[in-house]
Amino acid sequence: MAFTSDLSIDELLLVEEAGFEPIELVMGSTYTHIGWQWAPWSTNTEMTQISQLMIYARQTAMQRLVAHAAQLGADGVVGMRLDMHRSGHNTEFTAIGTAVRRRTGDGAKWRDRHGLPFTCDLSGVDFWALVRGGFRPVSLAHGVCVYHVAHQSLGQWFSSIGANMEQPQFTQALYDARELAMERMQAEAARSGGTGIVGVQVREGSHGWESHVIEFVAVGTAIVPIADATHEVHDAPELAIFAQD
Amino acid sequence: MANYPPRQRQQQPLPQHAIERIQNMRGPQGQRFFTSDFSVKEFLLVRESGFEPAGLVMGSSIYHVGMQGVARTQNIELTVLTQAMYHARELAMARMEEEAAALGADGIIGVRLNVKQHTWGESLLEFVVLGTAVYARDGQSQKWRAPSGRAFTSDLSGQDFWMLLKSGYRPVSLVMGNCVYHVAHQSLGQWFSSVGQNMEQPQFTQALYDARELAMERLQYEAQCDGAAGVVGAEIHERSHGWDSHVIEFFAVGTSVLPMQLTEAPPTPQLVMSVDS
Repeated sequence: MAFTSDLSIDELLLVEEAGFEPIELVMGSTYTHIGWQWAPWSTNTEMTQISQLMIYARQTAMQRLVAHAAQLGADGVVGMRLDMHRSGHNTEFTAIGTAVRRRTGDGAKWRDRHGLPFTCDLSGVDFWALVRGGFRPVSLAHGVCVYHVAHQSLGQWFSSIGANMEQPQFTQALYDARELAMERMQAEAARSGGTGIVGVQVREGSHGWESHVIEFVAVGTAIVPIADATHEVHDAPELAIFAQD
Repeated sequence: MANYPPRQRQQQPLPQHAIERIQNMRGPQGQRFFTSDFSVKEFLLVRESGFEPAGLVMGSSIYHVGMQGVARTQNIELTVLTQAMYHARELAMARMEEEAAALGADGIIGVRLNVKQHTWGESLLEFVVLGTAVYARDGQSQKWRAPSGRAFTSDLSGQDFWMLLKSGYRPVSLVMGNCVYHVAHQSLGQWFSSVGQNMEQPQFTQALYDARELAMERLQYEAQCDGAAGVVGAEIHERSHGWDSHVIEFFAVGTSVLPMQLTEAPPTPQLVMSVDS
């Protein structure tokens, strides 16, 4: 059966080397209207409703992708990417990746605790390296915190002109917001049965909102050690010099 | 020599969600859960080196960096700004180290320091530092920590960390030095006299040369204070951080290292033909 995938040649080679075959490029998406939440002008606070909405929208896109992959009989999805595009008042959230199936028929061992395909944002090359290293991906975990940064009053602004000093209220607020996004990602990964997360990225964006509102997103792939004793673990790394232009 | 006194990082309070996040990672009865920004290759090589990731650690500081008055035609260091930019980074680093200490880590790998400007805050700069805390699997913390007893810090990637250990060195600390410099505006007369001329401008050469040297000298001084034998991977960045274009910060950063006893000979490099284009 023909397959479609966005894997490059070396990724394809290594995914097959790891004992998997690509099935199809799978996608999930959702259009969401992000409304507005009132935030007190001079307060540093999380905008909880918008945070929840952003989490929910990405989760929906990922769930649809996973449902599609499960329908195809996939055991996992590699190279998953999350994207968002604004068009007018609506925002489209998409998840896209390549569904793969275990060739040796023991695919059930690779699925998550609900029997659904695993997900990860690893390239085919990284997926192979992880598996050879004795670990397998469980799920792409993410955490979100949308934060409103206080506007300063004119008095506060005047008092700091010319001064070189830390602004503890701002430091604390944004520091905490990032930590919150990471904590939520961590909780999601722990719920999915992962024992750790690799490749965490903490991104921030304003998505065209008012400049005082910032979204922090933490994304990473939850992993677990492969329990199977017959699993072949990689050889010791060697120092190599690449002959490359 | 305009150096700073030896580093004395004060303990920094952590935000509530940082404490929660770290407690969750330490888990009940030694059940650890880790987070890390390691790529798969880094993750495997750090484990190969005998370390386990403990958790992603972070520190930040939002700092109001004001202006310092200076004569238009002077080439001079803006010491007040230099110290402000340095202090802000120190605060962020100290908080990150505090998180690593709370995780019981022996070191931090892949430390990245970023300076951000936000549209909502004029003259506010945010200093964010991120890295992955690690601990030695064999529990021999003393072998790896910096001479001060703190966890080592380093801006090396996981790959570079593996190679550094293989070649018989261990990281001690992330060292930095900076210098904020004001480059003189030229007078009209000077400008006219150099129109159409191809020649060196010694006053500018000297000024920028000096500023870079100052940043590097401070970096070196930090490494000496930490009892290190040398610095690897030093880089010098220059940026204006939204200031007047005549004000430039030179920022030098690197990892200080110490030699250690090797149990086996360093690996011989193999020549590999890559099929990547």
